[in-house]
Amino acid sequence: MLKAAIDADIFRETIDVISALVTECRLQVSDAGIQTRAVDTANVAMVSIEVRPEAFTSFTATTQELGMDIAKMKNIIAMMNKGDLLSLDLPEDGHKLALTFRGYKYSITLLDVNTIRKEPNMPNLDLPGRIILSGNALNSAIKAASVISDKIALGIDPTAGIFYMEAEGDTDQIRLEMGKDELESLSMTEARSLFSLDYLKDMGKVMSRATQVEVLLGNDHPVKFLFDIADGKGHVEYLLAPRIEAD
Amino acid sequence: MLFSDFSDLCTRLEAISGRLEMIDVLQGELPSLSEGELPVFVRFIMGRIFPDWRPEKVGVGPNLLYEGVAYVAGIKKESVVRTINREGDVGRAVEHILTTKEQTSFFTTALELEEVYRDFTYIAGVGGSRSQREKLKVIRRLFANAQPVEGKYLARLLLGELRIGIGEGNIRDAIARAFDVPSVLVEHAYQARNDLGEVALLAREGADALSGVRIELFRPVKMMLAQQGSIGAMLAEHGAVAAEMKYDGSRFQFHKKGGECRIYSRKLEDVTHALPDIVQALVGATKHDVILDGEVIAVRDGKPLPFQFVLRRFRRKHDLDLHIDEITMIPWVFDLLFLDGTTYIDATLSERRAHLESVLGDYIAPQLVSDNTEEVEEFYREALEKGHEGIMIKAPSSPYTPGVRGKNWVKIKPAVDTLDLAVIGAEWGEGRRAKLYGSFLLACRDSGEFIPVSKVATGFSDEMLAIMYDLLKDTVLSTSGKEIVFEPSVVIEVGYAEIQRSPNYSGGYALRFPRFICLREDKSVDDVESLAQIGERYYSQVTSVKP
Repeated sequence: MLKAAIDADIFRETIDVISALVTECRLQVSDAGIQTRAVDTANVAMVSIEVRPEAFTSFTATTQELGMDIAKMKNIIAMMNKGDLLSLDLPEDGHKLALTFRGYKYSITLLDVNTIRKEPNMPNLDLPGRIILSGNALNSAIKAASVISDKIALGIDPTAGIFYMEAEGDTDQIRLEMGKDELESLSMTEARSLFSLDYLKDMGKVMSRATQVEVLLGNDHPVKFLFDIADGKGHVEYLLAPRIEAD
Repeated sequence: MLFSDFSDLCTRLEAISGRLEMIDVLQGELPSLSEGELPVFVRFIMGRIFPDWRPEKVGVGPNLLYEGVAYVAGIKKESVVRTINREGDVGRAVEHILTTKEQTSFFTTALELEEVYRDFTYIAGVGGSRSQREKLKVIRRLFANAQPVEGKYLARLLLGELRIGIGEGNIRDAIARAFDVPSVLVEHAYQARNDLGEVALLAREGADALSGVRIELFRPVKMMLAQQGSIGAMLAEHGAVAAEMKYDGSRFQFHKKGGECRIYSRKLEDVTHALPDIVQALVGATKHDVILDGEVIAVRDGKPLPFQFVLRRFRRKHDLDLHIDEITMIPWVFDLLFLDGTTYIDATLSERRAHLESVLGDYIAPQLVSDNTEEVEEFYREALEKGHEGIMIKAPSSPYTPGVRGKNWVKIKPAVDTLDLAVIGAEWGEGRRAKLYGSFLLACRDSGEFIPVSKVATGFSDEMLAIMYDLLKDTVLSTSGKEIVFEPSVVIEVGYAEIQRSPNYSGGYALRFPRFICLREDKSVDDVESLAQIGERYYSQVTSVKP
């Protein structure tokens, strides 16, 4: 059973976080809120998200697992206006989730959870490099790099005391450096890893709305992005596997 | 069985050139496979995915495959295509891409042989607006979990050609030896069941299970095929022969049980909905449960029309009301394979014909049984005058052998030498035809591989070149300069003056003065001429004295 009401914008934010990586997921619902973990089809990027009950206007739920068609949700969200209040209603043992807003009532058939990939375990990683910056700055850098390349290096140069992002195309280069005063926080640990911009572009769009994104880096290691949604009542972790250049 | 074990085995087999050694290796593998794995293994190793009688296709073209591999490797699709052009083989290119990919992943899960089959089945089943997206999702997941060598054979399986040289004959003999049953029984069971995978399971049960197989309604069997031959030789060999018109139509197989019926095309596709008039005609002509073999022809004002007219109807699956027009479709039935629960493929043609005549009220193809050369030749002239292609001559004492092109059925037609060949490549045209393919590379088959034998550039109208372009443009595997390589899917009939020995083509033969005759949309690339048949034609032209 799920009976809840939520601001349409917070719901949109939540779905966008997930849809950056997957088109469907197993959504865990309980009295602690909603949460899910998912990995993209190539096992390259992972998302973990939780939204606490306080993010909702009202929230009552029993513990259950829902098969969500995220792509379909995204289409329905496009029908909502800013400021709409969305109510979610799933009866006990029901297979159809009712989404009601502004007089519209969608009745959406849930997916069979057995047809959806199991939730991945988030790997334990030791990522010594730590940067905190605004989501907007991060997204701008990603966009700037994707103009000329399909991959980007993220790194920390402790001697120069900077966080840098650099990308190389067939003929062109771009480098962006940010010092301590442009960042919220910077650890002075050597780190550098290379990532696919295909994934980062989609993640960047979502992260651009966050006031602060914590970036954890290593050497030829995955990157982890941590940020809040729903005015701090929800939390997201993105994890992206690196590209390792052949010598 | 892990798909990686299957891939390693493919690698081993690919390196073996001797047939007996291949059979040895296969024979060793079969007994240890589980109930679920055995049929999948048998089909996969021949480069097939589904049972021959099933209509499913995975429907994954080169484009979708390249897109999936590009995503997994974290590179652009163009870069995948470049690698394929360089390697000259999709399988090897995918292997190379996965070996050198920069993008790492968090984990991989070992692929199971049966899991790969389930994924293929799922891909084949998804339809509608989401089908491309769903297919791509599965393809990405398969390649994300595949080791490089697995990627090589996954790619080849998806494109329908494993290129390890295992044909039906090899796997049939391997099954016979692995489970200690006679090879002829395996062959016979395959003809009736039309799935070597299932036959392997039966063979494991023993000879009794194999010899107990029956034909089943609504499970089409391959059509019996004819060789080229002569009236004189058939009469000399069989004494009396049965002669029938050779209709220029489309072959069909009609299955009926009570009030329910299905019509299958030569490719064993269900074409019932395209032929409501044929359904009505045949259902009205018999009260029995039957499987019938025949040819649909199109007639206008009493004259047979070229078979393109029939094809147009076979292809059409909707809007039939508009199309049942002044052209009449007539089914000519010439054989009976099954009657009221009994399989008749082992009965003689004379017996089958007697049953056919006793249960079907109408539409039975006229037949002449004669031991007289003049009579048969007169029948042949009559056939040509009526506008038919020629005649069929059949041995009255022969059984019905599904899928076999044997000596018991022979076709006699005016001396136009033609071959059905698969289109495997093309070159861009020039001038007015610059945006179309101008010449085509054609191939025959040998042990499941396509062997080029000729190029053809003459005989095409501009309209036909446009049709060829439309049919082929989505099957492009790779391009280099002006040359294009296709995933084989289109069959054409080509005429030629002579078959020559030639070092220019790997098969050792080439066609002299090849010209395009027509598209054979009723045939699949599995039906094209074999290298052995071309060899036979070469030798018969060497030995026969030309007038």
